[in-house]
Amino acid sequence: MEPSPMLEVQQVTQRFGNLLAVNQVSLQITAGEIVGLIGPNGAGKTTLFNVITGLYKPAAGQVLFKGVDITGWLPHKICRLGMSRTFQVTRAFNAMTVEDAIRVGAYNRHKEESVTAKVDEIVAFCDLAEIRHRKCGDLGLALLRRVEVARALATEPELLLLDEAGAGLNPTELAGFMEMIRRINTEQHVTLCVVEHVMQMVMGLCQRLVVLDSGEVIATGTPAEISANPRVIEAYLGKRGRHD
Amino acid sequence: MGQTIIQNLINGSMMGAIYALIALGLSIVYGVMNVVNFAHGDFVMLSMYFTFWAGTLLVWDAVATPLLTVPLLFIIGVLTYYFLIERTLRQLYVTQIAVTVGLQTLLRALTQVVWKAQPRALQYSIIQGSVEIGGYNIMFSRLISAGVSLIIIVAIYLFLSKTWMGRAIRAASDDLDAASLVGVDYRRTYAFSLGLGSALTAIAGGLLMTFQQVDPTMGVRFALLSWCVLALAGLGSIPGLLISGLIVGSAESLSVSLWDPRARSLVIYMIFILVLWLRPRGLFGRK
Amino acid sequence: MKRTRIPTRTALLLGGLLIALLVPLALKSSQYNLVLATTVLLFAAIATAWNIIGGMGGQLDLAAGAYLGLGAFTTGTLLIRWNITPWVGMLVGGLVATGFAVLVGWPLFRFGVKEVWYALSSSALVEVLRVIFLMWDQVGGPVERYLPYYAFSLYHLRFNSYIPFYYLMLVLLLITLGINHRIRHSRLGYSLLALGENEDAAEVLGVNAQACKLQALMLYAFLVGAMGGVYACMYGFIHPNFFSGTMSTEVAILGIVGGMGITYGPLLAAFLLVSIRELLRANLGGGLEGLYLVIYASVLIVIALYRPRGLATLLQDLFRQVQTRLAQRKEAGHGAVTDA
Repeated sequence: MEPSPMLEVQQVTQRFGNLLAVNQVSLQITAGEIVGLIGPNGAGKTTLFNVITGLYKPAAGQVLFKGVDITGWLPHKICRLGMSRTFQVTRAFNAMTVEDAIRVGAYNRHKEESVTAKVDEIVAFCDLAEIRHRKCGDLGLALLRRVEVARALATEPELLLLDEAGAGLNPTELAGFMEMIRRINTEQHVTLCVVEHVMQMVMGLCQRLVVLDSGEVIATGTPAEISANPRVIEAYLGKRGRHD
Repeated sequence: MGQTIIQNLINGSMMGAIYALIALGLSIVYGVMNVVNFAHGDFVMLSMYFTFWAGTLLVWDAVATPLLTVPLLFIIGVLTYYFLIERTLRQLYVTQIAVTVGLQTLLRALTQVVWKAQPRALQYSIIQGSVEIGGYNIMFSRLISAGVSLIIIVAIYLFLSKTWMGRAIRAASDDLDAASLVGVDYRRTYAFSLGLGSALTAIAGGLLMTFQQVDPTMGVRFALLSWCVLALAGLGSIPGLLISGLIVGSAESLSVSLWDPRARSLVIYMIFILVLWLRPRGLFGRK
Repeated sequence: MKRTRIPTRTALLLGGLLIALLVPLALKSSQYNLVLATTVLLFAAIATAWNIIGGMGGQLDLAAGAYLGLGAFTTGTLLIRWNITPWVGMLVGGLVATGFAVLVGWPLFRFGVKEVWYALSSSALVEVLRVIFLMWDQVGGPVERYLPYYAFSLYHLRFNSYIPFYYLMLVLLLITLGINHRIRHSRLGYSLLALGENEDAAEVLGVNAQACKLQALMLYAFLVGAMGGVYACMYGFIHPNFFSGTMSTEVAILGIVGGMGITYGPLLAAFLLVSIRELLRANLGGGLEGLYLVIYASVLIVIALYRPRGLATLLQDLFRQVQTRLAQRKEAGHGAVTDA
């Protein structure tokens, strides 16, 4: 018997006025995977994320997480159930220190007695010990992204969604970051869904890819399959003239 | 009784057109910058005082004063953006609001000091008298004020849909990043929006002074009225603003004559809070 | 670093407390100064309570006057009509204020209603309550309702000197500071701070925005409502003008200027600004008293533009600088250390 998928998106549609941002998108994620969600700019990836994590209510369709219909649920309830995310434009708690920011997430599953221990655990896991007392607003991009992931990890999610977390990182930072993501998947047993443009991350991390273009799924498969898929190539090439 | 009601509806609707004009100014600023100018109602009050000055010191008629007050308020709006709001755009939202709350407090305190507590009014205007239609009394001053407000509202509507600056404003309010890509300089657009929104208060203020008086509590009154109209209408629809203005104006007029003159703010607030309870998006809102 | 910090801080706190306790003895002769000191404590207490919803919760609440007035009227009416002691009246007043806060605040914290509407609504709420109580002849009305006069009555909370009120206010302030401190280091505090920084991010981390804000609001309203009871006893009467929009704005200004989210921030701001206010009120007359508002507003604007985290952060930075200098001196061993 096939294990039921951890996340099931069924025919989700989302509109902004006249713009059809997401058009009857369906996808599945099974536990333990690292799935990449890719596609040209404006394909609707972040919108889809926002629907899944409860920031938007979809015009049509369902989102099922661990078998529960979470369509239209508020974000904090979804987090309680075991899903968290990071944002494309980092949303830091500027005035708070790194460990305080992590603490906010840790309270999701811990009460006062054990929360400090959890914070220490996450700080150690994500290699943030040196900067734990610094204010988030003072951090550079690479560290900020790390903290965003740490925050979300502190909630003890079963599914973690990363929205373009690799953007803007130089090769060294990227390598370290990818390493941490890998460990999150293998050591903390967190399933991951990653929206990415950075090819290194896509190819190096993801076991499976889902390609979105203009709000629709145009292909799914392993990275090797996808990079050879003519429709995908067309989608990227066709758009390249427009942005840049 | 029926006659009183209809008389109030007529009066209220005429006032409502002016309220819609004031709310339009607020809506432009909020829609574009997502910042509410807390001092907006006080800008109306300020322009009424300026009108009073122009009327008594320069002996201008109320109808001519907008020539002075509109550019003046426009400049004040632009300056408010550059000196107060721009710096706070990247700060916490509370800080953004706090600046205009500070401005509001400042204006109220200053008007109190400069003009004192007693109401000020203009002695006369060329707009006088009233007309009787079907047994209902219609004052020319209110009628013309409503008419002018209507014309301006339509003009703004056309401006926003036809001119480049107008479309820039609409684009900026929809999606700032996209607008920037197309070449819209957000700073100038923001400044212009605040200037335009404030200039509209000058027109409203001048119209109001043809038949009302001004005192330092006016700021509170127009603030509540414009927010109520804006909440009721929602963002994105100018006809919606007009209709909401008519509703609010009528409600105010009815409550003053049928219940208690002091209760007017109560009724307005009830509408306001009910809208937020039941339909936060407003009756005609897009967002 | 932390080890040297705690003793100094406790020392400062105890020292401050000692001074605060001795103030009335020093000022016994000057009634005016005593009233000034009590007023500073009053505003500091209200603003510290405000900090819970405003500083930590990130909501610009402009309705302090509403809760103060509701508390005052509840306490006053209970006392005047049924001779119920203000000690009980305070608590009932707090509950009434809380109930009202929930009634008005609940729809506004719903998902999708933007924060600015809370600020607008709270600002209008005070004025509306003022009108209601002005028209409500059974309980309010345009004339002051005087509380029964006693030269010294603990039961009725009436005294003919400000000294007992000073100490009462001091206790209330300490309680509020304590509550503030406890919350700040609890789950609610962290959640509120996160919400204030970035609501979306906080929500995906499991923070229930609506519940947290509502809790903060209820706590704040209760505290201010209780203070309203004391307020009524201090002034000896109740009047619809207690529902003051100006005073509500002042409270918010104190909270912001002092330092949002910082426990002693509002206290600091109250110390500075309320003193200025009373000084101006005493020395200027003939309508120029309103000028203190000009100063308040200007300070708010300057702080919002140039030091949005408030004056308390200035103090914190100063404190840190002094700490580092002292640490450097210790390392150098002896003698004066020149600046780097």
